[in-house]
Amino acid sequence: MESITPHHFLILATLLFVVGFLGVLIRRNVLLMLMSLELMLNGVNIALVAFSRSSLNLDGSIFVFFIMTVAAAEVAVGLALLVALFKKRDSVFSEDMRLLRN
Amino acid sequence: MITLSLCLLFLPLLSAAVTLFFLRKNGNVASLLSVFTSGGILLLSLLLIINSEDTPISWDITWFEMGGWALKFGFLLDAPARLLLFVVAFVGFLIHVFSLGYMADDSARSRYFGGLSIFMFSMLGITLADNLIMIFVFWELVGFSSYLLIAHYFTTEDAAQASKKAFIVNRVGDFGFLIGIVLTYWTFGTVNLSELADLADFDPKLTSTLLCLALACGFIGKSAQFPLHVWLPDAMAGPTPVSALIHAATMVAAGIYLLLRIDFLFTPEALNLIALLGAVMGLYAGFCALVQRDIKKILAYSTLSQLGYMAAAFGLGMPGIALFHLMTHAFFKALMFLGSGSVIHACHHEQDIFNYGGLRKRMPITAITFLIGVLAISGVNFLSGYFSKDAILLGAYNFNLPVFIILYLGALLTAVYMFRLYFITFEGEARSHNSEEAKENNLLMTGPLVVLAVLSVIGGYHALFPVSLLEYSLPDIEMVAQLPHHMWMIVLGTSAWIFGLIFSRSFYGKVGEDDPLSSRFPGFFDLCRSKLFFDEIYDFYLKKVQNPLANFLEVMELLFISGLMVRGLAGVSALFALLAKACYVGKIHAYSFWFVVGTIAFIAYAVGLIAF
Repeated sequence: MESITPHHFLILATLLFVVGFLGVLIRRNVLLMLMSLELMLNGVNIALVAFSRSSLNLDGSIFVFFIMTVAAAEVAVGLALLVALFKKRDSVFSEDMRLLRN
Repeated sequence: MITLSLCLLFLPLLSAAVTLFFLRKNGNVASLLSVFTSGGILLLSLLLIINSEDTPISWDITWFEMGGWALKFGFLLDAPARLLLFVVAFVGFLIHVFSLGYMADDSARSRYFGGLSIFMFSMLGITLADNLIMIFVFWELVGFSSYLLIAHYFTTEDAAQASKKAFIVNRVGDFGFLIGIVLTYWTFGTVNLSELADLADFDPKLTSTLLCLALACGFIGKSAQFPLHVWLPDAMAGPTPVSALIHAATMVAAGIYLLLRIDFLFTPEALNLIALLGAVMGLYAGFCALVQRDIKKILAYSTLSQLGYMAAAFGLGMPGIALFHLMTHAFFKALMFLGSGSVIHACHHEQDIFNYGGLRKRMPITAITFLIGVLAISGVNFLSGYFSKDAILLGAYNFNLPVFIILYLGALLTAVYMFRLYFITFEGEARSHNSEEAKENNLLMTGPLVVLAVLSVIGGYHALFPVSLLEYSLPDIEMVAQLPHHMWMIVLGTSAWIFGLIFSRSFYGKVGEDDPLSSRFPGFFDLCRSKLFFDEIYDFYLKKVQNPLANFLEVMELLFISGLMVRGLAGVSALFALLAKACYVGKIHAYSFWFVVGTIAFIAYAVGLIAF
């Protein structure tokens, strides 16, 4: 049985990031796009933790805490905005939110 | 004193502003305001003239600064300025009063009197200005007010065209004047008149013929001298008092005044040229005046001719005499113009002298005062014109014989065409219904005539005027009095007007509807009528040379500057804008995709995977 190397963590992180990015690209629902964004952030977090572990340095792990904190705050604001938008528009689809283009 | 001169300058501007803002519909109040303003100007001017006798007023403040260069706004009220101030204020006042009568039936009186006030402001500005740039500013302002007043009857084609012509022809002269000012500043480093005088005195080599001729362009335009004389006869389309004030007595004389202000700059060559130019103008305008039928045009050409005399006097080195003649000319020419205005008013705006006749019995005061003007301009002994004009002739005889011969012929012609005008207008039988029914005008119009007639008689006796007024002219008058051949000149001058009187009496004493000259000497008549084709030559130049050139330049401009450069550059940036606009699709998905692509490309470039 092969041991788990930092490469595996990085592949997982990349997969998570790509899945998140495809979600942002493909989904029409803004709520899901927001969740996909969180997924991308988590991919980055995994990469940071993996590097932190392999280089025996805690800086990366500490940085992850910061990212999680900021992400929590950001999600709170983002969801609030989304709720407000939904109340105004009755829709959470991105194609309904193109006032500037028209 | 300075407060007084500031009040003097800005009083008419204030009056014009009040007229413009509050009295546009109220002609009666506007005309009274303007007349009282001109009365105030007269009082203030007299006060200033009396008080500045011992110490010329010289004062300035900085108007604005650009870098190290400061434009001053200042007054220089010295001897020549005092005389012109007197002429402007005095003649101006009389003409304002006359206008009250003349314009009584006009519906646009407030515009007219507002224009007169603006003119008074600008003219006083020229008189008082102490530097060339300030003179230039007011120079343009008198041009503007002249334009405004010529176009008073703007509904008629004549007046509209004439006002444009006057303005544009003056621009040509003023362009030369502006170049002259720039050259002056370039050479001397100042445009202040007193400083210029000191510098030119200190080093006479500084000045050049080119420089003073460029400055003289201003004079040629404003005083309507050859070759820019074409505007003045047309300017007669304006109301007659305006012709009297602006196009005879004061504004056109401002050209002479400009020459006097900068006389220290003139080189002998330039002076000779101006003397010759003036003398030729004196003769040429005489021939033109001889065959005109319009009473105002005759007087206009006579003005040109007299301005030529002043220029000749200046060119001959007698600026004092030139200014003296300016004053006497202002009196008798204003008198004759107002006289013609009185006639025109009485004859319901008939201006053809061959439709007058016999007006002496119906309008005795106008006729007698007009006769005095005619006698004065012809140089009848001991009237005002005799002293100033014969002084010019005597000086010319002693200094420059060719100029004298031309001027003397001009003097003969002056007497002939002036008596012609008088005989045809006032003697004989009435030749039209209008002139049969003419009546003498009221006191508002005859009063100024009488005052001016008195001055035309006594204006030549310089002892009658306060010394401060004629201080500038006195040295030249005394110099001329000392010249030889005095008796000879009296004989010549007297024979000139007697010849004119007898010739006109016999030739024009009994005329019908046509000019006797046209039937007896048709060739000569037609030649004079043509005015040597100046208008035609200028028309030809404009149509065949200037317009095609302008059209060609316009095409070039459209093609290269407007087309290639302006539109071209705009087109290139518009192309980029088009590209950029194509990326703006309004879908958040596209934006996030391009964002990631961009980030990846940036990182790839940063780590060296791709290179541009």
